[in-house]
Amino acid sequence: MAPKAKKGAQKGKAGEEEREEPLQAVVFADAFETKFSPFTLERPRCLLPLANTPLIEYTLEFLASAGVEEVILYCGNHTDQVEEYLKRSKWTRETAPLALDIIRSDARSVGDAMRDLDQKQLITGDFICVYGDVIANISMQAALWAHRTRREKDKKAIMTMILREAGDAHRTKSRNLRPVFVVDPEAQRCVHYEQLRPRDTPRLDIAEEVLVDHTEVEVREDLIDCGIDICTPEVLAQYTDNFDWQAPRRGFLYGVLKDYETNLLTIHTHITNEGYAARVKNLQAYDAVTRDILSRWTYPLCPDVNLLPDQSYQLHKGNVYMEHGVVLARSSTVKHRSVLGRATSVGAGSVISDSVIGRRCVIGNRVKIQGAYIWDDARIGDDTVIEKAVVAREAVIGQRCHVQAGALISYRVKLADGTAVVGGRKLTRMPTSKTADPEVVGEGGDGHEMEEDDEDELLAESLVSGDIYNLDAARISSDSISTLDSDEEEESLPEHHRRKSGRSESFASINSDESGDARRKAADFHHEATTSIIDALQKGDDADTIQLELQGLKLSSNAEDKQVRRAVATSLMKRLAALVDSGVSPKDAVAKTLLPNKLIIERCVGTGREQYEDQVEFLLYMQNDAMRRQQGAKILLHVCTSLAHNDLVEPEGFEAWWEDARSSSSEELLAVRADTKPLIDVLVDDDDEDEDEDDSE
Amino acid sequence: MPAAIVGETPSLSTFLKSLKSTDVESSIDLFISLLKRRQIKNSRPCALATAQLLLRVVAATRIRDVQQLIDRISEVGRRLVAAQPREMAVGNIVRRILGVVREVAEEDERDGSLGSGRVSGAASPDPSEARRPFLTKTFSGMSPLGQSVTVPHDFHPRVKTPMIEYTSPPGFDASAEREVKRPVLPSSASYAGLPPVSSLLSLLEDPLARSPIPTPPPGSSPRIQPMGKITESKEKIDVKAEVIDGIKELLDELEVVDNQIAENALDHIHSNEIILTHTSSQTVQKFLMTAARKRKFTVVHAEAYPNNHDETHATIVNGGKKGTGDEEEVDERWKPLTSMGITVILIPDTAVFALMSRINKVILAPHSVLANGSLLAAAGASTIALAAKSHRVPVVVLSGVYKLSPIYPFDTHELIEYGDPGKVVSYEEGEFMDKVDVINPLYDWVDADCVDLYITNLGGCAPSFLYRIVADHYRTEDIDLGGKGSS
Repeated sequence: MAPKAKKGAQKGKAGEEEREEPLQAVVFADAFETKFSPFTLERPRCLLPLANTPLIEYTLEFLASAGVEEVILYCGNHTDQVEEYLKRSKWTRETAPLALDIIRSDARSVGDAMRDLDQKQLITGDFICVYGDVIANISMQAALWAHRTRREKDKKAIMTMILREAGDAHRTKSRNLRPVFVVDPEAQRCVHYEQLRPRDTPRLDIAEEVLVDHTEVEVREDLIDCGIDICTPEVLAQYTDNFDWQAPRRGFLYGVLKDYETNLLTIHTHITNEGYAARVKNLQAYDAVTRDILSRWTYPLCPDVNLLPDQSYQLHKGNVYMEHGVVLARSSTVKHRSVLGRATSVGAGSVISDSVIGRRCVIGNRVKIQGAYIWDDARIGDDTVIEKAVVAREAVIGQRCHVQAGALISYRVKLADGTAVVGGRKLTRMPTSKTADPEVVGEGGDGHEMEEDDEDELLAESLVSGDIYNLDAARISSDSISTLDSDEEEESLPEHHRRKSGRSESFASINSDESGDARRKAADFHHEATTSIIDALQKGDDADTIQLELQGLKLSSNAEDKQVRRAVATSLMKRLAALVDSGVSPKDAVAKTLLPNKLIIERCVGTGREQYEDQVEFLLYMQNDAMRRQQGAKILLHVCTSLAHNDLVEPEGFEAWWEDARSSSSEELLAVRADTKPLIDVLVDDDDEDEDEDDSE
Repeated sequence: MPAAIVGETPSLSTFLKSLKSTDVESSIDLFISLLKRRQIKNSRPCALATAQLLLRVVAATRIRDVQQLIDRISEVGRRLVAAQPREMAVGNIVRRILGVVREVAEEDERDGSLGSGRVSGAASPDPSEARRPFLTKTFSGMSPLGQSVTVPHDFHPRVKTPMIEYTSPPGFDASAEREVKRPVLPSSASYAGLPPVSSLLSLLEDPLARSPIPTPPPGSSPRIQPMGKITESKEKIDVKAEVIDGIKELLDELEVVDNQIAENALDHIHSNEIILTHTSSQTVQKFLMTAARKRKFTVVHAEAYPNNHDETHATIVNGGKKGTGDEEEVDERWKPLTSMGITVILIPDTAVFALMSRINKVILAPHSVLANGSLLAAAGASTIALAAKSHRVPVVVLSGVYKLSPIYPFDTHELIEYGDPGKVVSYEEGEFMDKVDVINPLYDWVDADCVDLYITNLGGCAPSFLYRIVADHYRTEDIDLGGKGSS
């Protein structure tokens, strides 16, 4: 809209050419993670319905209300669907308040997208950068104004982060990671940033200069960071200069702060205590934000505002929102905090509370639905009970079923009559090649459990937030290993590791001396190393190349040997698991993967050394990883066999490993190594002979 | 003031500015989304924006016949009302403008029939009469427009000068007088004054009254078509210009409404009275200011926490909120009441009952007024009204006619909008809000029997008389705009 820009020029004080440019925003429709699988297997995350309105609508509405005139939307997977949807939405109509530019990209991270953006030269001035899953009603005006005045004075102030104050325990706050901002309150500058884990020793490594330079700093852990940033074009340039930055916080923010001495770039914060802001990062946040919306915390973005032109929600008592044409049997009850979409019918005697139900759903008689999310066109048979679960579009739940809290039932899955789905199950029909699993969906049902691997990690329990989290205290306190793995923003591994409780001890001892900075570096290294190895393995690069790359990486990030070992172990296991999953037998997989890469393993287990510590560690990593793979025990057995055959690990090494307390510290660990027992026995028995033979050779 | 930024948060002023340069459809959509996002809210901004927008709509529509224009306006109106049914001012303005169009059309028609020269005198009140059988009403509905030129002369005084007529005597007399006068004449006009034939005919024709051409004069049915054609050629210039004039008059009315209401101030506020008021309202502020020029009194101001307290504080300290209305409000010098030597006491809403025994008069500003005399006002108003009732303190409501809605409150719960609970419970109280559902109603519904007097820009009147003003201002055929979410 030209007029606004014009007006800005008229009203503005002298010398502000950049103000004539329209305000732009960049939206990352894809958050580059898979926290919403199995739903995201078929639909893009930004189109998942939140209180029956697609997520992207909230984000665009937020931007429009901030006066944004141009939106650049980055799509990752399912770009077609996003385009298709937006084409039919009000945002691409001629009368839309903002110009929407959809960019298809194969970016794998925010960093990639930013670099791409820099190349495309689409950004002309300062812009707002958000994820496609932000729900917010905070006023951007003050923040934009503060940002601009700061920019006028100081060209080095390249970014302003919008943060919302929230107490210690807010339901939309992530429970896994607590971002800690160290802020200079006077300059509103962020001087240090770290992510802490709950129950971790709260320790920050604040650089000395920070404390010298700033007379006053606030260490704040009570802020909700929902990824709304006001960026300058300089930010893009920085991303381009530092091609390894992936995540906006862990990569960019951290990097810029670290390089402050050299670049003198500053990042500022705008801390607001009014309005609502949250990101629907995972299912737990999905649940929390939905409840916020229904309780009108996001006002005016509530269902009865009818964001979509064809919606007709009305608010009834007790925060019940119903569209026109909902059919309720007289004896049915719809209790507080529920949403019912158009043409949904509820049978006699059914009770619905705290639930969101889409359009055209058919709910049978005497059904109990409590805290569930049921998307459009689902059918639910008589006498069924659904707890806090998600039932996606067109799913069919038979009669007398019981869907327990935390279950996720994806598109078009069909549950036969009388099926019980335990919490945490993820049922899907993707990939379609797999046939229905009657054990899960009952006779005549359709669907199967989602194939899980680390990449598709998601916390089923996270939907059932709160209690389960705390029950699993051991998991949360289990720690240092997981710190190596994760950054919520970009990493795929995190939750899983911690969920398996008890495993931690063994690794704590390995890594316990690392903290803060070192940890993060280690995590970076680990992440990069594993990705590069796995890529190489997939491509079938030869061992020399891999080794070379690994060496380079190791030197550049100053990693220790044991980190390399860990990276190698993890990536090999991952590759093996992938092969096994695709149908190759564990034995073949091992043969295919290990043998060509003998060299790498050899390097990192340091064969020939008297100390078997390296080998033990390597095996521990392997075992640990195997523990959460399907057929992990088998794989481990074959790996061990192969290692023994090729003399990569000496029998003494195996023995030391077997006896090491860390390898038997938990049930799962014991279970996974059980299969390997015979091999070890043989090896240990043969030990002496072997040695003799070795000597004689 | 952080206004001159590109990413300026859209508001009434940005909307009005953009209105000039963007095309009509975009403006409509923009207004709808602003309404939905509550970036334009409260009666006055909504009314202003709606009138301005419809002005654009009318100006941009190519009119071939009047019915098209009516259809177009009602279609736009329906969308606007559906976007935010609780902002009744939007619907009110749409109905008023529809009324203007119909008025112009009828007048035009009458001119045509005048040309035919036969029945004009007797028949002219007829079409509208037929159209509004329940209300036995006349053209006076369009009072602010002053366009009912061809209305028989005896209708005029009441039509054009209600202000003059009713402002001088104190409110009660005015309404009483009005009430006495009103029913007599129109009914005599409709039942006694008209030839029986024409009224019968028009009765029969009633269902057809919505046809493009206003109800024809009796006995001329074969001639309808040619006549319509003839008048159309005139209409092209005429109707549009007339309607635009009508809308402009409506905008003028919106502008002067506060002054007109304030003219009554001295009749109601006497020296040394203690007046209780609630939230910030330009109308009330102006009313009190006008009285303060002549008299000394005390104002007790309830702050309307948590939704409006900021504005209330600003009103008391600076005389008005800043920043929102940089359009025409700027030239009005807003001074705080205290600068005129008035004692203002700020109290929390909870203290209202305790203080009520000392209050002489309660002055409220509504969000909207309903046809039965009940009203919606900022949350807290109900408490005040009930407290006043139990202490027998008169409650005076200041409301422009544009806030007066023909809607009848069948379900008062539905009329109330619920806001952000974050204003009541802090967002930081994570655990608390996890377990407790907090509701924050933005408005209260106050029943008609809690109100003693309404002061509109037409003068004072009793709540029970409001239906009359409604009938004067809105056509029955417009009351239901179609997809109305009210009933």
